[in-house]
Amino acid sequence: MTRPLPLTVNGRPHSLEDVPDSERLLDTVRWRLGLKGTKEGCRSGDCGACTVLVDGASTLSCLTLTHEVEGSSLTTIEGMSEDPVGRDVQEAFGRAGALQCGYCTPGFVLALVGLLRERGRSASVDELLSDLGGNLCRCTGYLAIVRAVSLLQKEGP
Amino acid sequence: MSAFALVAPPSVDAAIAELRAGAPGDVVVLAGGTDLLFELDGAKAPRRVVSLRHLPWRTVDWNGPVLTVGSTLPLRSLERDPELGRHHPGLLQAIRAVGSVQLRHRATLGGNLGRAAPASDLIPMLLALDAEVDLVGPGGSRSVPTDRFVLGSRRTVLAAGELIRSVRFPEPRPSVYLWQRVRPANDISQIAVAAAYSLADGRWRLAVGGIPPRAVRVPEAEAALSSPTPSEAEVRQAAELSVRHLSIAPDRRASAEYRRHLVRTLLERAVSGVVADAQGGQR
Repeated sequence: MTRPLPLTVNGRPHSLEDVPDSERLLDTVRWRLGLKGTKEGCRSGDCGACTVLVDGASTLSCLTLTHEVEGSSLTTIEGMSEDPVGRDVQEAFGRAGALQCGYCTPGFVLALVGLLRERGRSASVDELLSDLGGNLCRCTGYLAIVRAVSLLQKEGP
Repeated sequence: MSAFALVAPPSVDAAIAELRAGAPGDVVVLAGGTDLLFELDGAKAPRRVVSLRHLPWRTVDWNGPVLTVGSTLPLRSLERDPELGRHHPGLLQAIRAVGSVQLRHRATLGGNLGRAAPASDLIPMLLALDAEVDLVGPGGSRSVPTDRFVLGSRRTVLAAGELIRSVRFPEPRPSVYLWQRVRPANDISQIAVAAAYSLADGRWRLAVGGIPPRAVRVPEAEAALSSPTPSEAEVRQAAELSVRHLSIAPDRRASAEYRRHLVRTLLERAVSGVVADAQGGQR
């Protein structure tokens, strides 16, 4: 397909050329846009490491064809420092020490930002944690991630 | 470079025409893609993928007792509908059993039905709620009950060029969906049980999933429950009859013995849950 593909990435409009029909959003983000903060984990929808926001909704970029989100607004971990909720989530992860190797962290941050935007302050810590079930941390640093979520719900963005 | 060509027709008619243009097996329908994409890398991958993203089917419609869900609505949108949990609590539980939040932002009800995975978490609940599948194709429209729509593992009654337009739930029912699996998210149920009680006809619906080739109703067990508030003995008998009448095989996810145990336990709990729901809920 030779038609340019419009995509807003972290607030900036892009026009992508020659994106193959079979290209996954994960590969577009990492290799075409060069945004390596989004991680490839299982590439089969199990681990959540590749989570990005598509029009605000947390999405598995490994199971999404890039052409399917044509015209959308895409947000990756690189856009989180300009996002008020994203800054608070990253701050909470830092304060709670909620990372070891860091590979799963962008996915957790994006998933949590998506949930907080969707549900606001009404969600309980338990509900948020249950809705984070699609993200895996292979360092098994879950307790610190639970602390980060609790910090967010106590102090709030 | 592409392994396949992706087309996104602008209308229902154009989509039907695209589907008819290719040989069977060469053309597939793409809704959310969370299941289909696993097939697109393989050697037997189809050559043409028809995306439904431009079709006007991302809808939820409450009309009296009838809920109609557009086939391409993301499951997460249905899950977040403020009315769903009150009218169809079991359907909400079943939706939340599908993948993860991220996956449900793309996965759809139409995709789940059309792909007809043997371990679908939605099909058992659709059976228990007597959901009707609305189809549109070259010959016009027709509706098929879920039970007749799913023929087997990955097999449906969809004819060449036919699409799932919507799924209709005829009436609110006290209902419960329970599952057992290794990981709560992104996993496949070893056994799942859907139970519902129809206030309109005074009958129970019990369906069991996680047993290939497809989820099934268990009429023998349904018949054992004679009232909206069955006795403990009746519930136990329904569970026993389910185990006796289902063909339960082992696979890498669970032994047959464990599955039989799960059918008994989950079925008893699901029926008790529906009774509690019917007594406590206002609908």
